[in-house]
Amino acid sequence: MKNKKRAWMFGYNKQSKSIAASLLAEKFTITIIENDDKNFQDALHDEYKNSLLIDITEDSELEKLDIKEDDWILCLMKDEHLNVFLTLSLRASCPKNQIIAISHSIYATQKLKMAGANEVIDIYQVSANRIHNIFEKPIAIKLLDNFISSAHEISFKEFAIPKNSFLDGVLINDVDFDKFGLIFTGMIDKEIRDEFIFAATNINHKIDNGDTIICIGKDENLAKFEEYLHKDIV
Amino acid sequence: MLSKYMVKIAFWLYYSKRYENTKKFFYDILENSDHAYKKFVDIFLITLIFFSIGEVIYGIKHIIPEWLHVFSFYIISIIFGIEYILRLWVHGDVHKIIIKEYERSQFLKIQFNSKTALRKIWKEKWSHIKSPTAIIDLITIIPTHRELRILRVFKLLRYSKSINQFVDVLKTKKFELITLFLLLIFLIGTAGVAFYAVEGNINKNINSLFDAVYWALISTATVGYGDIAPVTTTGKMISMIVIVTGLILIAFGTSVIVSAFLEKLGEIKDNRIIESIKNEDKFIIICGYGQMAKMLLRQNNFNNKYIILEKDPNIVQQIAKEGLNAITADASRHDVMVKFNVQYANVSVLCLGSNDVDNIYITLNVKSLSKDIKVIARASDESMKKKFTLAGADYVIVPNQMANKMLLTYINKPAIYTVMHALLAGKNAAYLDEIKVLGSDGLVGKSIQEIGFKDKKLLLIAIQKESDNDFIFNPSPSMILDENDILLIMGLKISVEYFVNTFQRGLE
Repeated sequence: MKNKKRAWMFGYNKQSKSIAASLLAEKFTITIIENDDKNFQDALHDEYKNSLLIDITEDSELEKLDIKEDDWILCLMKDEHLNVFLTLSLRASCPKNQIIAISHSIYATQKLKMAGANEVIDIYQVSANRIHNIFEKPIAIKLLDNFISSAHEISFKEFAIPKNSFLDGVLINDVDFDKFGLIFTGMIDKEIRDEFIFAATNINHKIDNGDTIICIGKDENLAKFEEYLHKDIV
Repeated sequence: MLSKYMVKIAFWLYYSKRYENTKKFFYDILENSDHAYKKFVDIFLITLIFFSIGEVIYGIKHIIPEWLHVFSFYIISIIFGIEYILRLWVHGDVHKIIIKEYERSQFLKIQFNSKTALRKIWKEKWSHIKSPTAIIDLITIIPTHRELRILRVFKLLRYSKSINQFVDVLKTKKFELITLFLLLIFLIGTAGVAFYAVEGNINKNINSLFDAVYWALISTATVGYGDIAPVTTTGKMISMIVIVTGLILIAFGTSVIVSAFLEKLGEIKDNRIIESIKNEDKFIIICGYGQMAKMLLRQNNFNNKYIILEKDPNIVQQIAKEGLNAITADASRHDVMVKFNVQYANVSVLCLGSNDVDNIYITLNVKSLSKDIKVIARASDESMKKKFTLAGADYVIVPNQMANKMLLTYINKPAIYTVMHALLAGKNAAYLDEIKVLGSDGLVGKSIQEIGFKDKKLLLIAIQKESDNDFIFNPSPSMILDENDILLIMGLKISVEYFVNTFQRGLE
């Protein structure tokens, strides 16, 4: 699954500011769309030159935007009603795009999903999960913190399987990940469906070129494994 | 001479650790409702009360055996007598009053007056003696008449929180109720005298003023037994006035009591919730109810061992209807947190309000009571994290930051997002669990290879050894498991549960 490097961000507020900054750091081309003049001026002030002030409730205005199929769409409007309406409008005009929305309540989450968002991140659900894990799984939370933290030593990494690499055409159970100090977590098998299969299901999949595998490990081991994966490819 | 010995004994008691501990012990078991042993003393005394009343009831139609009579007449009375003396003793400190009086006389360079000290001691003790509960205690000691022993039932008032609350509520309307009572006495007295004057010589059922006053009371209460009835027109007119006035007074009295209850209802409910949560060894205090608290309680209701403190009474009313344990309280207030005995219990406090200033203040308030209380605080911004850490928060949750990280992971590493999301949400396919190695299970002394996690369709992610605070990621297959190690395992929920059942519960 390759990264798409263009993102349309609807709504410029305290929360979306940090998302915009992070996407910019990941070399995304961001276009910020606002319907509020104050927020629009704020975006311009923060040097987001590709900012537009439009009436997002008007379909004709949305259709004028040059949104390509591979572009990411982020619905981050502060007003929940507007965010749901916008998601619905965008889904109608951009049926193949990945739309991600941020929700501030369980009711909005449901509506955003119904409106057609591919993924809805419920800001309070994520935090509630974390608090729950602090109580129920204090050690697991330490590990998860490691994965999320930027100052981590242990992390997740996904590896796209290159053609003719040592994993191409090999059955999962025949690979000794311990040798690399890694834990195999799961994979996306293109042959079956474009869906993540957890290692815990213990189905012995055949790894092919184009599949993606996910491993957990120390950063240095992950780097060594990646190097090894691309070694001697003809 | 007496003064000299009084002061000497007072100072001796003041410095005696043994005396202090003994007195504290008796105070705790008799008066301190937070003390573990008090409930046993209460149960013992309640049992004696029921036994004593049971004996009286049984004795009405049966012959009581001698031993039972002795037990009820003497032993129980002696026990209640000792209890009365102990309660009187633990009420206030006599020696401290004497010392204070002595120091005052030294400071003013006047002679120590034992009479002044005794007067103050009497005043202190009298405040206990004249209290309704002490009067009831005193009555229950006296066993002279078998029938009087039935009064011991009133002693139960001390142990009934509902009755105590009822009395507290009535106290808030003391002025209104006293006024009503005086009016009632006036009405009964006047009506009784008037009725006696009018019908004393005519009505054959009225033999004394007492009969007339009795009639006035029965009529005022609108009971009307019919044993005494007016026979003259004037008497009937008096009856009509008494009945109408009585109805008004009863209605007025009822409305005063009802309004007092309505005013105090919220407080009574809150106190009940506090009392019930206080009895738990381990509980959670959630400060501020909003979307996050709602989500959290949907996911984990902490076996109902939680309490929500919310400032807005409308919100409390709303969530109480949903069956949540919520009270109207400001968690940033010291006296609110003290109510929960947070120093003694295993308490975690969640500051989930949306205001950083309030959350920091609550964190400091809680940590000032005990550093051991776990505080999880919500911050609006990453920049606030440092302030929360300084205030002593053990964990700081920044919802925006966490959601942003998830969103960015979804865009940049969608497969990793799937794993992380599943792990965080505890989804079936990627269930992450912590398993403690117990001495009694079959894991101790075995190597990781021997256990064969992979064959059991599990991934052993890490181990935390008891001696080491940090975890060992992806441990070597030769590592031997010790008692109290914690295994971090990932797998299908069914695999994890099967593993636990097999090794730790022997249910294979």
